[in-house]
Amino acid sequence: MKKLMNIFMLSCKKATELIEKELSIKLTKTEKFKLHFHVSMCNACRTYKKQSKIIDEALQYHFNEHHTHQSEYISEDFKNIIIKNLKK
Amino acid sequence: MNNLKQESKRSEIVTIWVKQFSDELFSWAFHKTSDRAAAEDLVQETFIASFQAFDNFLNKSSPKTWLLSILNNKINDFHRKRFRSTYKTESHLLKENDNNFYDYFFDDNYKWKDERKPGEWNNSDEILLDDTEFNAVLHNCIDKLPPNCFSIIQLKYINEQEGKDICKELGISQSNYWQILHRAKLQLRECLENNWFKK
Repeated sequence: MKKLMNIFMLSCKKATELIEKELSIKLTKTEKFKLHFHVSMCNACRTYKKQSKIIDEALQYHFNEHHTHQSEYISEDFKNIIIKNLKK
Repeated sequence: MNNLKQESKRSEIVTIWVKQFSDELFSWAFHKTSDRAAAEDLVQETFIASFQAFDNFLNKSSPKTWLLSILNNKINDFHRKRFRSTYKTESHLLKENDNNFYDYFFDDNYKWKDERKPGEWNNSDEILLDDTEFNAVLHNCIDKLPPNCFSIIQLKYINEQEGKDICKELGISQSNYWQILHRAKLQLRECLENNWFKK
């Protein structure tokens, strides 16, 4: 029985890896089943899964919205260099 | 003569664009690369490209949208190149440090170490994606990632590109790809927890 359990039981490292895989590439049926089984019994990985989705959304927003970052400025000198180099 | 006239008209317009949009383009490029010198180069290359491809522009979109699309392509190239150059030099290091890296989070049986277990984020329902302070913390956490993690995260989220396409472009296997993402996520998660959710 214990042996049988081991076949189904993923480590937390492997489980969190599959959670990331699931977000970008499809899981196989076996992987899906194993992950589901692990997450249903492991509190920490359940929490990780929830948070991983939140981070994903935050990253998506962070990288694609223009208003989430501070304004930076280019020097006037550099602007003039760009203008000069245009005509080369 | 006509050509000369067109040429000078073109440079007049692009010169106006430089004055008008270079700060904004630079902010964007700096935000995506965290590298001031690289961001300057990318902005400069963008304007040169816009000057050369001016005939393709034809007022189809706003100049800013057009310039940003050129810049985004250049940013992608930057990350692809950087990924390739750092991945080669890091791949052997990566293997050596593999166990060290995971040992930080997991015990001998690859279960979470007690002190590294993800904690509950009580206020996670309240995070506003457009909260400037939260985004600043997130930005710092992204900056702390090792270069290949940093570049892969950028490539994934800038274009919302399919995983398999990113793998093809970078010449890595799919399993390498999500292993790198996994590493990046483990680090980001802990960094956000310590610097945002615990505060």
